[in-house]
Amino acid sequence: MQDRTTHPEEGAASPPPAVTLKERQALSRRLLLGTLGVTAAGGALAMVSYHDDAQAATTSTVMAAMPTATAAEHAWCMVIDLRTCDGCKACTASCQKRHQLRPEQTWINVYEMKDSSGGTFNMPRPCMMCEDAPCMYICPVGANIRTDEGLVLVDTDACVGSRACMAACPYEARYFNWSDPLPQKRLPMASSPQMPVPEKGTVGKCVFCADRLPHGELPACVSGCPMGVLYIGDLVTDTAVNGQGTSVVLSDFLRANDAVRYKEELGTNPRVYYILGHGQSLGGGA
Amino acid sequence: MSTDVISTDALTTDVITTDTLTTDARAASLRPFGKPSLLWWVTVVALALVIGAGIAAWVVQLKGGMGVAGYNDHAFWAIYIADVITFIGVSYGGAVVSAILRLTGATWRAPLTRLAEGTAVVTVLIGTALIIPHIGNPIRLYELLTRPNLSAPVFWDFVAVSTYTFASIVFFALPLVPDMAVLHQGHEQRLGKRRATLYAKVSRGWTGAPKQRAVLAGALGLVSIMIIPLAVSVHSVLAWAFATTSRPWWHESIWAPQFVVAALYSGVALVILVLAGFRRGYHLQALITPRHFIRLGFILATFAATYIYLTFADLLPGAYVGDTGTASTFTDLLTGRLALWFWMFAVVGGLLPLLLVALPWTRNVTGMVIAATLVLPMMWLKRFLLVVGPATYDTMTHTFGSYHFTWVPIAITLAAVAAVPLLLMLLFRVVPLLSIDEIEEIEQMQEIDEMEKDLTARPDSDSGGSSAPADHDGAPVGTTTGTSHRVAGATGVLLLVALMGMLGIGTAHPASAATPQIASVNASVRTSVRTSTGAPTITIKGVEGGGKVQLTATLTGANGQPQADAPVAFFFNTTQFGTPARPVPLGLVTTDKTGVATLILGGDANHLYRPTTKGPQEFGASFTPTKADAKPITASVTVNITVARSAYNPAPPKPLAGLGKGLVVALFAIVAAIWLTLIAQIWRVRRVRLAVQEPATSTA
Repeated sequence: MQDRTTHPEEGAASPPPAVTLKERQALSRRLLLGTLGVTAAGGALAMVSYHDDAQAATTSTVMAAMPTATAAEHAWCMVIDLRTCDGCKACTASCQKRHQLRPEQTWINVYEMKDSSGGTFNMPRPCMMCEDAPCMYICPVGANIRTDEGLVLVDTDACVGSRACMAACPYEARYFNWSDPLPQKRLPMASSPQMPVPEKGTVGKCVFCADRLPHGELPACVSGCPMGVLYIGDLVTDTAVNGQGTSVVLSDFLRANDAVRYKEELGTNPRVYYILGHGQSLGGGA
Repeated sequence: MSTDVISTDALTTDVITTDTLTTDARAASLRPFGKPSLLWWVTVVALALVIGAGIAAWVVQLKGGMGVAGYNDHAFWAIYIADVITFIGVSYGGAVVSAILRLTGATWRAPLTRLAEGTAVVTVLIGTALIIPHIGNPIRLYELLTRPNLSAPVFWDFVAVSTYTFASIVFFALPLVPDMAVLHQGHEQRLGKRRATLYAKVSRGWTGAPKQRAVLAGALGLVSIMIIPLAVSVHSVLAWAFATTSRPWWHESIWAPQFVVAALYSGVALVILVLAGFRRGYHLQALITPRHFIRLGFILATFAATYIYLTFADLLPGAYVGDTGTASTFTDLLTGRLALWFWMFAVVGGLLPLLLVALPWTRNVTGMVIAATLVLPMMWLKRFLLVVGPATYDTMTHTFGSYHFTWVPIAITLAAVAAVPLLLMLLFRVVPLLSIDEIEEIEQMQEIDEMEKDLTARPDSDSGGSSAPADHDGAPVGTTTGTSHRVAGATGVLLLVALMGMLGIGTAHPASAATPQIASVNASVRTSVRTSTGAPTITIKGVEGGGKVQLTATLTGANGQPQADAPVAFFFNTTQFGTPARPVPLGLVTTDKTGVATLILGGDANHLYRPTTKGPQEFGASFTPTKADAKPITASVTVNITVARSAYNPAPPKPLAGLGKGLVVALFAIVAAIWLTLIAQIWRVRRVRLAVQEPATSTA
């Protein structure tokens, strides 16, 4: 034994017969254990379902490759024309009324921002529905969903309340239910990511009124804006409308008005476009 | 732990003979097993009450929501996550100090290892438990297993912490085998029934035969090596859980190493306090000498200096460059709202401990205990500052929200603090306080060594200037496991590399819209005309071909002649946003001499719109006469669109996006290998314990 420890090659060449069997048994047992372990690990791996976007990406790639597959019919976005926003916060109010939010839960928040000439302008901020949403990657239990139509939604039935997404969101668009939600005034219905019912200990955010869009209805903030600042748009069909009856060809509208995306440099590819016009600076300085 | 000032003990260490030391190690280990003193009971009850208050606070928080703990949307992370970092952090001190001292063969470690490793196990468990109050919905924590998001740093935190916890338990438990054997064989009557049963079970078959010792030493050496990269990985991933967010300061590049050093720094401080407490409580002055404290003090000073350096290396570049977010956060920290606390940390938590070790007249047990007592709360403070500063920073308005303490998180934090001594006191009611076997083995080695060297007296005082462990005369324990050491080292490196690449996991490929490629040209078939009843009339025709649509409007004036130089507004109708259909303007075209206005969709740079969906689509043209009272006239046509093109262009994939899956598989393989290796070490020791049947040659 001593020899084998210090001179392994010698021992391996001519092991004492008495030891061989034992050693072989030990070896095979070790091998077996190892094999079992690797198999178990592999099995566990295979069972672990991907809840991240990598999976979604793969799926959609596969689907795109299939000849009969239909790709998403819509790619929802929002255009916010800052030139006409007067900061009345009607959008916030109609959103909070529709989603039964507490006053401090401003899913669409109107910030008073400083412009480059020292004045202020008003800037509504819904969820940016990022195409590379940081909240998607960081949620430990994959409670964020990104629909085919590009809406980033929260599955409140899965949210564990880690608030990692709140840390990750560069737009401060997420709100936590720190206490019991307000009593619901509407008919009781099951919570869904498209129309979440606030629940203590979970996170909530703007959903673009995802339950309304398929029916051709406008989100609460868009229809509630008296100035027609907010446009809901569809990047696929290239149209956008506001609550005041204006319809535009989206690409023309964005191009003609030099629309920008907030914090473009972060690479989140937000789906909310801002139209400036008062010397505002947008972005920079996360 | 007891933070009392402990009087300097008589330097009797080197006078004590081997025999008395050995007896002392055994006697000292048996000491906690006797009938507990009144002081013990009072301490336990007091600590239990504090923990009870913490649990009550947690129940209050569960009922009222996390708002009762002072949290709000502008302070979404605060005290609990600072607690988690602090407690998991102090755990490394025990584990890594013990592991490093074992690997470097520092023989003076022997009386400290058990206490240090026990502290490591206890604190990592408490730190893990503190995640529960941090989470808004703790009942759903099981989802980390059932529906993990493999791109989430928090999930990998969970993997790393649980792996590290398992490793530290193995590291703590393996050396128990010979100790329990010694106590069970020699002092069974003093163990009491339940302990005796446990010890018999754990140590059955252990005779101290050379082969058993070699296997145990090999297993311990391997685990010692593994625990170092594991500890580094845990705090790195913890730091990355912050760094992968969009907050200023949190993603400074130095965070992972800074977290690791912070953990070691506070960990060594806790080891000093635990040692002082148990030394005093169980009268271990003969075994745990001022020398030990001073050496730990040197380690503490090393980490203090490193941590001060890292703290300012962390702040300098960001403050210099002055990005909006980073500059605001650092202003807030260095001269603003948090400045008092930050500089208090820098002086009390960094400079003072360094001085206490550096100055000869404070370099004693009292000085070290004071230093450690300063370090621990100040390191908690530092963690709290680095959590709460960026967490309260509003990245939209560049202003700060605020976090206000309430009694709830304070009670929970105090409960966690109280749990450390309580769990240690209870733990060492069950397992031996000292690693008897290690102490005795090292003493024997030293004896032999000294006989061989013909006995030159060792230096009396060890308060010299070296901060590294001074004793290297004992052979490293794990000498027979060179290969496995290398394997484990390589595994650790791989693990680190793999964890570093974690950010590449997964990327969102936005739902891509269809871009049908139909080559054939289709002319539109149906043309419908609707004219208004006013004097002027307008007609429109639509033709589709080659993916473009040509709209032709003809305007006839009131006189029946073509109307030239009149603006015609083209539009299409959409019902996507509800009925009635909304006209979407496509642009104005002025009619020519024949009264015809033509618009080719997709034809020029000013008209980017092209049909996006197949099937019939309604287009229209309208003309508003210039007279004030005139009503607009409109005509519309439905064109059957055969070639549609989605207007949506998804963003290109992010760089390194493809690496995610392979990385996840590699990480899981590494984690599985670590767990299997750890289990194999338990198995190995168990096998050799039961296999060797030769008569006892143990030193007992």
